[in-house]
Amino acid sequence: MILVREIRKSFARVRAVRGISFTVEPGEIVGLLGPNGAGKSTTMRIITGFLRPDQGSVEIDGHDTHSDSLAARQRIGYLPESAPLYPEMSVTGYLDHRARLFGMDRAARGRAIGKAMERCHIAEVARRRVGQLSKGYRQRVGLAASMLHDPPVLILDEPSNGLDPSQIRQTRSLVRELAEDRTMIVSSHILPEVERLATRLVVIAGGQVRADGQLNDLLTRHGTRQIIIEIEPEPGRDRAAPTGDMMGLLRSIAGVTAVSTADTDDGWLAVTLSVDSSTSDPRPEIARRLASSGHTLRELREARPTLERVFVDLVESPAVEGVATV
Amino acid sequence: MTAILTIARRELASMFRLPVGWVVVALFLVLTASVVALSIQPGAPASLRGFFTISAWLLMPVAPAVSMRLLAEEHRTGTDEVLLTSPVSALGVVLGKFLGAWLFLVCMLVPTLAYPALLFVVSDPAPDLGPMVSGYLLLLLQGTLYLAIGTAVSSMTSNQTLAYLATLFPILALLLAGSLASQSLPELLRPVHEAAQIGRRGSDFARGIIDTGHIVFFLAVSAWCLALAHASLEWRRWR
Repeated sequence: MILVREIRKSFARVRAVRGISFTVEPGEIVGLLGPNGAGKSTTMRIITGFLRPDQGSVEIDGHDTHSDSLAARQRIGYLPESAPLYPEMSVTGYLDHRARLFGMDRAARGRAIGKAMERCHIAEVARRRVGQLSKGYRQRVGLAASMLHDPPVLILDEPSNGLDPSQIRQTRSLVRELAEDRTMIVSSHILPEVERLATRLVVIAGGQVRADGQLNDLLTRHGTRQIIIEIEPEPGRDRAAPTGDMMGLLRSIAGVTAVSTADTDDGWLAVTLSVDSSTSDPRPEIARRLASSGHTLRELREARPTLERVFVDLVESPAVEGVATV
Repeated sequence: MTAILTIARRELASMFRLPVGWVVVALFLVLTASVVALSIQPGAPASLRGFFTISAWLLMPVAPAVSMRLLAEEHRTGTDEVLLTSPVSALGVVLGKFLGAWLFLVCMLVPTLAYPALLFVVSDPAPDLGPMVSGYLLLLLQGTLYLAIGTAVSSMTSNQTLAYLATLFPILALLLAGSLASQSLPELLRPVHEAAQIGRRGSDFARGIIDTGHIVFFLAVSAWCLALAHASLEWRRWR
């Protein structure tokens, strides 16, 4: 279990992390999302004990990363962004070195290295020097190294970085497999990747948590519900433009907060209604009103909010724009 | 302790995996062997004085070349993030790095044991063993001090060139301290100047005198430098 309490961290005049708190339960895969400079990597570095927070604390399975640092670090497997490795070492040599650092004996090292290489599909490059490997292989060597000591907590910063689509799929299934009996935090810029992988999302921007919850909850809470309608243009009008009557009719429907219009390629009128998420489905009422006012409808559907849209809305809100300074 | 040895082992191995390690050892051996060969004269007393003198000077450029990458390279490539999130204390990392570099120095000096062995074979009467033992002890102590200075400097930067130069200058200052007249310094600094004259301490070793005061000086200053490196690594966590 990971317990992050009100951590704050500043670098010179830049406040990188401004009071972040969250908890990750065993078996949970938490996706840490945020734009560049949001404070994701700093947060991960504080959780792993690489950086000390100016304020606040982090506990790993009950061990404080500051006062009981070595015990906390023994429980963490960490893959930093861009997987830094020693280029002059062989893959096996590097994994052996990492296993030794975690105090594993010879037999345990042999077993763990074999298992990690098999899981990360790097056995074929076991004798190659790390510096001669492609970015994808280096990433997988870093991932293998992070799981050698079978840690109960895994923290992976951009684990799919540099991997091709097939390797991304393999890594995703490996991460899911590893998460079955572990606590895991995964950060990524690739939203669909996190969407598929994480059981919970924490969105960070401007050094603060902007949203925390399961994907569906986030979409419901922060996503704008939209209804898309396509209407035949009114006879006698030279272009597909809404009349004031129609706009007024749509705006008067309960729950509709905004109406926008556009032309379709074939000259029909596309209307997008933003709807308050707390109201019941307004589509029957929309259909009824448009029919009774003589409009011809060819499409009426609800557009599900996407993570991308929610993410952009959250991180671009004026309150968190840019990096705050002291 | 296991972690310190693990880090030292990797450090030592990496020096021999890189061409620079072999080049440093080869140059050191070629230069010192030439001096020894030239100093052996028929009828003259056998001595390794020339070897110890040149070796002490060669340590000045060699030790910073060995120490410059210890922590600076880790910081530059980001591998310090992996190392410092492993269950190893910052002091363990410093000691492991330093030990690896120190073992490299020992590996560089071990082949030179052939020189006294050669003198014992070809020289009659046999050469005096005392100055040889004290000479090697001085080389080890000087190497320890230089590498400790280099470890401290390397912990403060990610630039290897800067680490090399910033290590070279304090070593040069220590070596040249003896040529600076004490009287020209403020009274407060005179005891420091007196203590820092490693040239004077080296002269005692060259005469075969092993003064525990000198040994304590080298070891104490080395320990202080390693403590500085440790503080520097800890400070990075807070920066």
